[in-house]
Amino acid sequence: MTASAAGVLRSEWTKFRTIRATGCTLAGAFVIALCYGYLFGTANGRAYLGDSPAEQTSFDPLDTAFRGLALVQLLVGAVGVLAVTSEYASGMMPTSVTAVPRRGRLLAGKAAVVAVLLLPCGTLIALGSFVVSQAMLTAQGAPGAALTDPGVPGAIAGAGLYLTLIALYGVAMGFLLRRTAGAIALGSFLLILPAMSSLLPESLARAMLTYWPTSAGMRLFAEAPIPDALPPHAGLAVLAVTVLALLSAAFALFRSRDV
Amino acid sequence: MIELRRLTKRHGHVTAVGDLSFDVRPGVVTGFLGPNGAGKTTTMRAILGLDAPTSGTATIRGRRYADLPVPMREVGALLDARAVHPRRSVFDHLLCLAQSNGIARSRVDEVLGLVGLVQAAGRRAGGLSLGMGQRLGLAAALLGDPAVLILDEPVNGLDPEGIVWIRTLMRDLAAEGRTVLVSSHLMSETALTADRLVIIGRGRLLADTGLEAFMRSHARESVLVRTPDAEELAHRLRDAGATVRPGAEGALAVTGMESAAIGKVAMVHGVVLHELTPHRTSLEEAYMELTRDSMEFGASEGGGR
Repeated sequence: MTASAAGVLRSEWTKFRTIRATGCTLAGAFVIALCYGYLFGTANGRAYLGDSPAEQTSFDPLDTAFRGLALVQLLVGAVGVLAVTSEYASGMMPTSVTAVPRRGRLLAGKAAVVAVLLLPCGTLIALGSFVVSQAMLTAQGAPGAALTDPGVPGAIAGAGLYLTLIALYGVAMGFLLRRTAGAIALGSFLLILPAMSSLLPESLARAMLTYWPTSAGMRLFAEAPIPDALPPHAGLAVLAVTVLALLSAAFALFRSRDV
Repeated sequence: MIELRRLTKRHGHVTAVGDLSFDVRPGVVTGFLGPNGAGKTTTMRAILGLDAPTSGTATIRGRRYADLPVPMREVGALLDARAVHPRRSVFDHLLCLAQSNGIARSRVDEVLGLVGLVQAAGRRAGGLSLGMGQRLGLAAALLGDPAVLILDEPVNGLDPEGIVWIRTLMRDLAAEGRTVLVSSHLMSETALTADRLVIIGRGRLLADTGLEAFMRSHARESVLVRTPDAEELAHRLRDAGATVRPGAEGALAVTGMESAAIGKVAMVHGVVLHELTPHRTSLEEAYMELTRDSMEFGASEGGGR
């Protein structure tokens, strides 16, 4: 009997599954992904029918498939935040740290549970969004992509990976800020910051659309927003390194702070 | 065995605990006493590694708490009974703690039986009464069958039956050779369970002694004397070597002389006595006096949790 890493993982999984808020948020993310798939599929299908033949030729059904993820990611980030801040908010954290005084192990256990859960769930969210949106496109008479089309499985897996990293980002924000409201508000703001790039001077906007971790990471499943955007693997690297840096900062703070 | 060596914890300019050194030995219940804000909780948090000491060390059998390979098997702690997630069930709360230290699931059922919470296993931890919450906290502390127990005000919120139960439990645990450190701000409560006393005030050590020794050295015998001729008798008693202080309602409080000798002095000098009552200061009074003094001397030092 030891306080092994496996034990900490089991414990963190028990904590995760016995709190309803985190599971509900994750289920909510899935439902919202389906809803957005339906809405974007319907709207873009209708738009396709009104397009000129030239526009119709350049129509990419994958554009529609993951449009909703830009908003779904806010809920996925919140799942990571809640996994941490629920312990701070309830006062459970001192108990947790007493049980597992090696704080790095505690933080890693939480992050691992979130990652292991989000990898399949995030992929499922992406898959749901894809299937519903493409079904709506074809229902409107527009061309839809099939699961077996080239690039589609990769994009779905990429979206799953992207959402996993966003959930880990939430874990880091939770440890850094400790409060649910603050971590979700600031975390969400930073996630969707590229959406405001049109307000910035052009050079700054370009830089943001290229290198901002969420813009860069979305290259895993989305069309390049600007011509010279990063290739998908470089985009993934930018996002992954950012998340890792935030987790390291979270660990440094968590280790040095009194609980 | 818990060892504190020059433990100091400052929050900014406020010294919560200053230069605290003492040992907590196995086999006895050690009462950790001090007024509210004396630094008891801070000390316990430092032992458990929740607060990092500003300087000094707190170790358990020579090792820092964070370095214990399986902490819950060595130390059981009850700091705050509300340190639970309110929506998690009693059973799941204990299960996640047990799992983190590789403790078998069957042990969760065992400790639930031990603290009398079997019926409440499925209830939400947040819906428990304060007393039941304390029992849950104790169950968590006992999960790893630890050799060292650190309990912060465990009788808080317990009903009389629960208080008797926890007293017996603590004595039994100590009798099994375990180290039991239990804090309280009430001497009357502590005197019923503790064999040893560690008393702090304003974060400083005031006493580290056995209960009997504390009684002997701090509880004074005094004699209450009532007489119409107080000034004369006080003078004569002082001449005879006693210490005389004015008591309530014109009476005299005499120490350093037994009542028989006082009666004799009065007779020799023809002083009429109306009352002659031996009086032993209680533990509570001795404790109050000790901590009151510490507050006067330590008033500029500031207090902590």
